[in-house]
Amino acid sequence: MTDAILKVKDLRKVYDDKAAVDGISFEVKKGEIFGILGPNGAGKTTTLEMIETMREIDGGTIILDGLNVAERPNAVKRIIGVQPQSPAFQDKTKLIEIIELFAAAYGEKVNAQSFLDEVDLGEKANSYAEQLSGGQRQRLSIATALVHRPKVFFMDEPTTGLDPQARRNLWDLTREVRDRGVTVLLTTHYMDEAEVLCDRVAIMDKGKIIALDTPKNLIKQLLKRGFKKEQQVEQANLEDVFIDMTGKGLHES
Amino acid sequence: MKRALYTVIVFTRLNTRRFFRDRLAQFFAILFPLIFLFVFGSLSSGDSGNVSFHVALLDQSKTAFASKFTEQIKTSKTFKIDTSVTNLTTAQDKMSKSQIDGIIVLPSDFGVVKPGQAYPSGQAQILYNQSSSGTGQTLTSVLQGTFKQLNTQFVKTQPPFSVVGKQLNKKSLTSFDYTFSGLLGFSIIGLGVFGPVNVFPELKKQGILRRLHTTPLRVWQYFMATMFSQAATGAISIAIQFAVAIKLFHLKVDGNYLEIAIFTMLSIFMILGIGLAIGGWARNERQAAPLSNIIVFPMLFLSGTFFPRFLMPHWLQTITAYLPLTPVIDGLRLLTTEGKNLLQIGPQLGLIAIWFVVIYAIAFRVFKWE
Repeated sequence: MTDAILKVKDLRKVYDDKAAVDGISFEVKKGEIFGILGPNGAGKTTTLEMIETMREIDGGTIILDGLNVAERPNAVKRIIGVQPQSPAFQDKTKLIEIIELFAAAYGEKVNAQSFLDEVDLGEKANSYAEQLSGGQRQRLSIATALVHRPKVFFMDEPTTGLDPQARRNLWDLTREVRDRGVTVLLTTHYMDEAEVLCDRVAIMDKGKIIALDTPKNLIKQLLKRGFKKEQQVEQANLEDVFIDMTGKGLHES
Repeated sequence: MKRALYTVIVFTRLNTRRFFRDRLAQFFAILFPLIFLFVFGSLSSGDSGNVSFHVALLDQSKTAFASKFTEQIKTSKTFKIDTSVTNLTTAQDKMSKSQIDGIIVLPSDFGVVKPGQAYPSGQAQILYNQSSSGTGQTLTSVLQGTFKQLNTQFVKTQPPFSVVGKQLNKKSLTSFDYTFSGLLGFSIIGLGVFGPVNVFPELKKQGILRRLHTTPLRVWQYFMATMFSQAATGAISIAIQFAVAIKLFHLKVDGNYLEIAIFTMLSIFMILGIGLAIGGWARNERQAAPLSNIIVFPMLFLSGTFFPRFLMPHWLQTITAYLPLTPVIDGLRLLTTEGKNLLQIGPQLGLIAIWFVVIYAIAFRVFKWE
């Protein structure tokens, strides 16, 4: 695979003799949305953090856009954007100032308003961060992670705790980010999210990758093995009812 | 390098703006030290040079001389008569509570013109408690002086020896001068240590510092921005304290304001390092709060914040001279009220420089982003 922007080989992380990440290898293609799936404690977040330079690498190598992450963490930081699990911002700071602040962290001066407009927060430019709803905070966080035009964008369980409308809105935003040519690497434990959003997924369990393919292929393989789900008669589920009744638009002031 | 400094400038600007929007931060940086200034200023401005005694005056005599004498004492600056006291029991009760220093009793025969004499005579009594015998004796001799003047009106004599007091035109430090530099030290500690110690653990808890760590932001940039914004808020706070001290407590500033400002900035930078080290090291409030109290409170008491160091035993003065806050308070006093300039306070500047290096070496080493 020559168009891989991220190459992970035999990656290991050990906590107290226990391998949290146990020699995993995978590659992520340029411009795809790649999901790491797995139950809590599977090692998803640890894997992501090692790629983000936030955790020391105990074994193996990570090459991100030709850079060895272990050797050149500062160069790596300039080409990645990070969306934390629960984004928080300092109080008494206007949204427009938060964008300026993150751009300044990269030594850059940007048109902050346009970044807020991109995530539908243009009208809130002069509000304080503490006045935002959960979904708005997520969107602001995405804007702060894109100020320096990164090549790879990391999202750690981005939709945990959001209502269905905010989740859908975030999925749309994630696709928009990808459509700009940014590679997206996310973790999630919502399978519906992975199915609609990810081009390819890796399923992790107990520190190892146990499957890696497109969601469609993984489902096909499962069916080939003779799996049968209880037949569903309904053509819709409760979430469809919810969205139908409350609308697709974002519910926020 | 230019880009790296641009980062520092933006962070400084936003930190400072945040301060102007945060009522609580303003309270602790500005109003809180002012409250201390009012309390300690009022306490120490009462004794500015003039000695006075709070006394009860019990006039048991009915003579005209006694009433005239009473009036005279009432107008005297040396004696402050507690007019609410009219009998001996309440007077003694008040004295036992140290609300008055002594009791002057004019007995019933005070001021009576005795048969065969041309002028009135009598003996006043001064009552004082065992615990304040020094005050009592002083009171006695002051009153004796008053009588001596009276006596010469009645009996013309020329005493062979006398003593006269002469004021030198040299100003000594008032206790407020010590109090004021101590209070400035106190507010520098408040800004420099309690600021970051309260803020950093919260930023870590919310993951805000961690998020910043995913950017190329360096620790020195973050520290420098904090230094500059704290210096800006510190300058405001300390300027207000100077204004209040000059206006209300008659502080006389002998030094150069520019030099005082420069010295204050250097002091804030150094003391802030303690806050950055503690706040940067601690993972949460539970680690930050006890450590900062252990470091700050002894320093507050041993560096001359609330009472001057010369009151300490010699060995303790020797040790406490080397605490980080001591050269700050001494330097501020030397510049403000003792008319020294920056070149003359080399030892203080040197000690601040040494602590600056030591403290920041530790702060950089122990800093954690989460």
